[in-house]
Amino acid sequence: MKKFLALILSLLMVLSLAACGEKAPETPAEAPADAPADAPADAPEEAPADAPAESKVYNVVHLVNGNLGDKSFFDSANSGLEKLKADGRINLTTIEMGGTVEDEPKWLSTAYEVAESGEYDVIVCGTFQMPEEVKEVATQYPDQKFIIYDDNTYVGENANVLNITYKQNHLGYLMGIYAAYLTTDTSIERINEDAVIGFIGGMDSPVINDFLAGYIEGAMSVNPDIKVDTRYANTYVDTAISKEYGLSMINDNKCDVIWGVAGNAGNGGAEAAFEAGKGYFLGVDSDQELTFNEDLAAITMTSGLKNVGNSLVWVFDELDKGNEYWGTEVTLGIAEGGVGIVTDKNFAKFASDECKAAIEAAEKGIVSGDITVSSDFTDHDKVMELREAVKP
Amino acid sequence: MFDLIFSTDFFFAVLRITAPILFATLGAVVGEKAGVSNIGLEGTMMISALFGSLVSYWTGSWMMGVLVAVGLGILTSLAMGFFAFILKTDIILTGIAVNMIGSGGTLFLVKVITNMTEGKALASTTSLITTANQIPSWNIPVIKDIPVLGDILSGHCVLTYVAFLMVFLTWVLLYKTPMGLNIRSVGENPDAASSVGVSVLKVKYIAIGFSGAMAGLGGAFMSMYYSMGWSLDMVAGRGFIALAAQAMGAGEPVGGMISALIFGFAQALSIKVSSKGIDSNLVTPIPYLVTILGLVAFALVVRRRIKKQHSAEALKAEEK
Repeated sequence: MKKFLALILSLLMVLSLAACGEKAPETPAEAPADAPADAPADAPEEAPADAPAESKVYNVVHLVNGNLGDKSFFDSANSGLEKLKADGRINLTTIEMGGTVEDEPKWLSTAYEVAESGEYDVIVCGTFQMPEEVKEVATQYPDQKFIIYDDNTYVGENANVLNITYKQNHLGYLMGIYAAYLTTDTSIERINEDAVIGFIGGMDSPVINDFLAGYIEGAMSVNPDIKVDTRYANTYVDTAISKEYGLSMINDNKCDVIWGVAGNAGNGGAEAAFEAGKGYFLGVDSDQELTFNEDLAAITMTSGLKNVGNSLVWVFDELDKGNEYWGTEVTLGIAEGGVGIVTDKNFAKFASDECKAAIEAAEKGIVSGDITVSSDFTDHDKVMELREAVKP
Repeated sequence: MFDLIFSTDFFFAVLRITAPILFATLGAVVGEKAGVSNIGLEGTMMISALFGSLVSYWTGSWMMGVLVAVGLGILTSLAMGFFAFILKTDIILTGIAVNMIGSGGTLFLVKVITNMTEGKALASTTSLITTANQIPSWNIPVIKDIPVLGDILSGHCVLTYVAFLMVFLTWVLLYKTPMGLNIRSVGENPDAASSVGVSVLKVKYIAIGFSGAMAGLGGAFMSMYYSMGWSLDMVAGRGFIALAAQAMGAGEPVGGMISALIFGFAQALSIKVSSKGIDSNLVTPIPYLVTILGLVAFALVVRRRIKKQHSAEALKAEEK
């Protein structure tokens, strides 16, 4: 009976999604594979070189390879686009394509449909799940502009695709400052006097170590003698094992602030702190105080965010200024508002005034160039040395 | 180093890591005894983990959650049995199908049921579950006051004790009951069992149902104690490790328990070693390395035993 019910429900959902998908593009997509470069005659060719006083209003479609309401990337991207729309700078169509395995085939056909329709100046989509689709359609429709956020799989392969990525090390720097202030602030309960902070990474890989590089340098800017206990769970799904790592960090090395950067597995750090009754957790990617249950949210002090929405606004700002980045990768940091940390809720409650001032100063310093943060992509050896040097 | 390993929380961790693997191992042991290779333990655990935590959330009772997890484990395994025994599909392929349902299907169901729209990579029910929905821990009255032993043995999840109790019960089932005899005979020689009036089909269903129940308990342990709530692929290979533990333990309940303990020990060891800042790429393989060493040791013992047998037989033959 339950299975039957689930089947009916799933059928309903698939149907309703299919209905949503069909609404958006007027032009029916018929076998677009054999429709090469001659596609839209009225291709959106703007001439921005002379920087017009009256900015162009772009027709933008946001292809969400999931659903809105994720309190993470998709919502962030859409809020940025909604803001642009409210300012009268773009016309926005959002298509939620669904995120299950069953929906995946629809992503490509939807991308073809909107490209074929020719009515959008820019197609916006994102995440590591979309590069294949974007590459294929962008090759078929070289006059159609694409923006893909948080992915750099095929940078430069298509002259009409802009890849947006984010400076994790900037994010890490701010988190490191906050963690360094927290770990010695014994006026907060569950905090011990030892200056040891922790980091659970998904894998010993460049992206994760980029987070780590900023984290260590940020913490050291507050306290040069701070110790950072770095563990790699070598998984992004096994929450239980990273909980074991978290417990070991808390019990063996007296860690009291743990930053989990390992997808779902990173949450094991929060569960460890909760179970041990010691220490706090820092989240990543989305505001985890909103996505956790109340027990874990209470010990999550802030989350590091990639502000996808801000980065899209930045792109349109640049377009209006006449700067085009099609065919390249732009990596956005604090200066462009591409990354930041959650500053309400627990942060507002627990961060000392000194800490808040230090974070603001760091933001200013990074923007002005007074502070440079190492990146694992460019100075891997230095970051590894740093990691060894701050071991507890 | 040694003060790290020989601490009470280390041995506590060993038992905690072992428990879910032990459940699945016992499931594999009984299945294998009846000649049914239940390779779908992993997927069954995932399904049970999801519905265990959801039911616990809906009803507010962890016991209901565990019951539903066990029930669904049995149902999933019986369905597997139906495909394999009646419709004559290959049981290994059926098991793989169950594992795929356990990974992709649970993600699909969680979105349908809870309307959750998180991105695929971060799908979980962590937002719903609180400590009230979790399986409680239990402090054993007298033992908890014993200095070292109490710290290691007391304060575990209720299901951890059930896991080790089940080792004994499984042994009783297999070796002290008529049903156990039937299970073993069906596994050894189904034709002979059938010729003396044992319903091979019924026994196989019971065996695979039992292994599903064990996987259900393992799944409940994962989502209702180990982690808070279900998340994508959270069982993370424990169902497969259990299959290895079953083989390593020579298909016996106690042997399986020892193998699962070895694995738990190695896993806990690797985590303790990492606290010394040793490269994670060296640390993570420790459990698997230990498993391989265990298998080699086991194979050597078996080979020696077979050699002994052969030479004894050869001697006998000569005497004749």
